[in-house]
Amino acid sequence: MATTQYDDIYRQVVELLQEYAPKPGPIQEETELINDLGFDSLRVMEMLHDVEDAFDITYPLNSLSDLRTVKGFAEQIQHIIETS
Amino acid sequence: MGILDKLQTVADTRKALFPPGVDPLNIVIDEIYSATEASIGGHRVLLAGTNNYLGLTFDQHCIKAAQLSLELEGTGTTGSRMANGTFAGHRDLEKELAGFYGCSNAIVFSTGFVANLGVISTLAGPGDIIVLDADSHASIYDACKMSGAEMIRFRHNNLEDLEKKLKRLGSKTEKTLIIVEGIYSMLGDCAPLAEIAALKKKYGAWLLVDEAHSVGVMGDHGRGMAEAAGVEEDVDFIVGTFSKSLGAIGGYCVSNHPELDLVRYICRSYVFTASPSPSTIASVREALRAIQSKPELRTRLWDNAALLYHGLKELGFELGPDLSPIVAIRAPSREKTLFAWKALLDKGIYVNLVFPPAAPAGMSLLRCSISAAHTPEQINFLLQAFAEIKAMMAEQE
Repeated sequence: MATTQYDDIYRQVVELLQEYAPKPGPIQEETELINDLGFDSLRVMEMLHDVEDAFDITYPLNSLSDLRTVKGFAEQIQHIIETS
Repeated sequence: MGILDKLQTVADTRKALFPPGVDPLNIVIDEIYSATEASIGGHRVLLAGTNNYLGLTFDQHCIKAAQLSLELEGTGTTGSRMANGTFAGHRDLEKELAGFYGCSNAIVFSTGFVANLGVISTLAGPGDIIVLDADSHASIYDACKMSGAEMIRFRHNNLEDLEKKLKRLGSKTEKTLIIVEGIYSMLGDCAPLAEIAALKKKYGAWLLVDEAHSVGVMGDHGRGMAEAAGVEEDVDFIVGTFSKSLGAIGGYCVSNHPELDLVRYICRSYVFTASPSPSTIASVREALRAIQSKPELRTRLWDNAALLYHGLKELGFELGPDLSPIVAIRAPSREKTLFAWKALLDKGIYVNLVFPPAAPAGMSLLRCSISAAHTPEQINFLLQAFAEIKAMMAEQE
């Protein structure tokens, strides 16, 4: 990973969400994956493989229970990058 | 919102999926005639989706052993293994399972589901890491959640992804349990267990293999995928079930780690549930003997599986990647899968209808499982019906 800057992570997360979101729509930091983008657990799991590849990380499934907003997702990924 | 409101989603989904009067997920077998025939909805049907791989549910030795046990020991234990629910038969079966696998320790549970739930959630805990195959059974996922361990998933059967994830863990691999299955229940595909065991050794991790669909099926002696792959010594824990090739219900774990015996004292799904009925234990002990003394059952099973798998391939169906007794046909849509499933039932054939999330990767499946008890004529009847179904589906397009 060339940079761990939040903005870069956020931009890539938005791109991935746009690809996988069952309910396409505008995506902002406070957009919620389940309520706004229509994700269910199965769809999130399908996306996670690509998230891991994009950031070259391992995303523990335990983190899914804290996943709400796009901002939160980007921050989780940033934390994993910085601590791995 | 009340607590029941969320169930409305289930009602809506059911209504959208199934026409009135058709509920493939609530099939009732009115009468069962043999390992391969039953009555459903007043019609005699060929059973091709029962996981009864060796056909032992109607084995006369198993039935007689269960009958004798019923007369001598009653209908149930009415107690936990830890209290009054361990009869001599339970302990004898554990010794026999340990002997079958050449392991020092074995524990018998009430079902295969609770065996996974109990063993995994007891072995792994907070501070440990579980690396599991993405297509693992629901009982494995639930067990991992219960354990409190960190859960990491690798792409199904993907050795490169598994190694990448083990490598990233560094020295933490010594507290890492890898979990895979011998044969995966939905597509019938096999784990590359020799390679997985090599990675386990290379990175110093632990390995648990769920042999639910492979015990009695794989290996020269029927011990499962670990035997077939020649890696039994590298597998730390094997979990299995009595509800498939052994023709009854129950579960077990075997291991050469003597600590397995301590799991009994703290494993909630062992301590806080009633033990298997003595008649079940008696029939399983006979079935375990049959697995060892009747290798011809495995030969017949694989002959039947090959006949169906290659026959369906010739008909142009899209199947799982490996030949195994689970033959899964991938259908293009939920609607077409349901149409084909219903048409098969009308022709006198029962197979499993599987929709996501039970089926992996969003697939809709017609899942057949083959038995040693099927006759070649029954397999040909199946193939003939599938040929007709294929033509009917083509007409719809």
